[in-house]
Amino acid sequence: MLGYAGVAVAGAVAGGAGGVAAARRADDASHQAAEMVARDISPYGEHQPAIAALSPKHAELVALNLLPGTNKAALGRLMRLWTADIVALTAGRPAPGDTAPELAVPNAALTVTVGLGARVFALTGSKPAGFDDLPVMRHDRLQAAWSGGDLLLLVGADDAVSVVHAVRRLVADAAPFARPAWRQTGFWNGTGPDGQPVTGRNLFGQVDGTGNPAPGTPDFDATVWADTPDWFRGGTTLVVRRIKLNLDTWDELTRSEQERAVGRKLSTGAPLTGSAEHDELDIEARDADGRLVIAENAHARLSHHSENDGRRIFRKGLNYVQDTGPTRENGLIFLSYQADVAGQFLPLLARLDASDALNEWTTTIGSAVFALPPGFTESGWLAQALLG
Amino acid sequence: MKKKLLMACVVVALPLLVSCGSSEKERATQVAASAPTVLVEDAWVRATIGAKDTTMTAAFMSLTNPGNADIKLTSATSPAAGMVQLHEMAMKDGKMVMQEKAGGINVPAGSHAHLAPSGDHVMLMQLTKALKPGDEVPVTLKFSDGTSHDLTVPVKAFTEEEEHYHPSETPTS
Repeated sequence: MLGYAGVAVAGAVAGGAGGVAAARRADDASHQAAEMVARDISPYGEHQPAIAALSPKHAELVALNLLPGTNKAALGRLMRLWTADIVALTAGRPAPGDTAPELAVPNAALTVTVGLGARVFALTGSKPAGFDDLPVMRHDRLQAAWSGGDLLLLVGADDAVSVVHAVRRLVADAAPFARPAWRQTGFWNGTGPDGQPVTGRNLFGQVDGTGNPAPGTPDFDATVWADTPDWFRGGTTLVVRRIKLNLDTWDELTRSEQERAVGRKLSTGAPLTGSAEHDELDIEARDADGRLVIAENAHARLSHHSENDGRRIFRKGLNYVQDTGPTRENGLIFLSYQADVAGQFLPLLARLDASDALNEWTTTIGSAVFALPPGFTESGWLAQALLG
Repeated sequence: MKKKLLMACVVVALPLLVSCGSSEKERATQVAASAPTVLVEDAWVRATIGAKDTTMTAAFMSLTNPGNADIKLTSATSPAAGMVQLHEMAMKDGKMVMQEKAGGINVPAGSHAHLAPSGDHVMLMQLTKALKPGDEVPVTLKFSDGTSHDLTVPVKAFTEEEEHYHPSETPTS
């Protein structure tokens, strides 16, 4: 609607989409035309909006630990503060008290998702069923520097400057209540050459996330949105795992070896038994020698819901690189959304840990679990039903 | 936040609705719809922790007037402050000084008033206690259309232009 006029004028000078937005703000008559290019995502709704939205091009996750004096009332103040920041920043307005207001720009598809770690529920009670930190898996090599956390900020946008600016404001405003424990920066290309959304690829080159339930379907709703306790209706849980990919040894494999490990074709992401990305897996199919086409230990078979008593998750990923001097570590920030961590995610994780062929080239070095409160309305604030 | 606008309409319309018949009810609804009040966004108060003078500070916010008649912010109160004034920054004898804004802060029809550091602001004086980042301060704004807004305003750290809010001379109006 009517925005922060000072910024709108700055946007016009900067040109491009910002100029269009400025025109919209200055002149309501052009509202409809400008609406077509607007990429702002409303912060309001039944659910936090980024969860079911496409993966952002750029994202940062920040886990924070509560300071000793932060009690339930203080958490409420923090959530009201963050809510006001999110409302302003996602509309392209500076956060209240913004020290670099010109960095807040509209049309960047900025989203902020907030999560609560297990320690919050020690202060509030009403912990969602099945919400606990994950046990350490046999293949895990977890580092404290990438694990745990009492609060989560997941900020995404089409542009890295907007992400960094929003994180800066949200972390600065949280300073009286909580301090960062870890930060992870990632990126994803979910847009095809024709501009249409695509599943996107991890740094192994695999199409990653094909098996997801589609947002807006009953399958998605049943997989992702929680019902209980009351305050958590419309919320979900998020597992964040930092998975190091050993590209050196992966690159030593032939393409057919790489495809066998996953059970999908590298070219399209289609199952080895199919021809298009979204073809169903034929897990019974055998080749001329009687061997399973999709191997017993192929990642796609082990993670498929038909092999997991129908349990599903909603997967997203962010690629990352971590540079230390001349050395680069490559990896995937694995994000899994599900209503119930213990009921849906943990059995799947245990199964993959036991026998996934990909374990040879992947090592999980960080792990954290957060409850994502439901969304908020224009008169409400984040986690109000828990903290209000 | 944005809801404030709707709430205020309801408050204005309700007493009329209760006491009038159906034709008048219609009129009352129209009056409420055609005279929307000011929308308050992005409010914050500057912390006093670390400041030279911890007895006063300022509240900032964006005011939007979607209606077609100017509305003035005429006064503000807060239980956290013994005295609250509406201030502007003005050039006086070649120097920028802070002074009480005569008649209040105008929010032009179809436009905004931005209360921001170095500009118009709500001055909170005779603070009852120091305000630190992470606190919240209740502030009530009163407007010339008879509406009032009860806000819960977050306290934030900020360093810019501090000297403007702690002038060595007592400002005059």
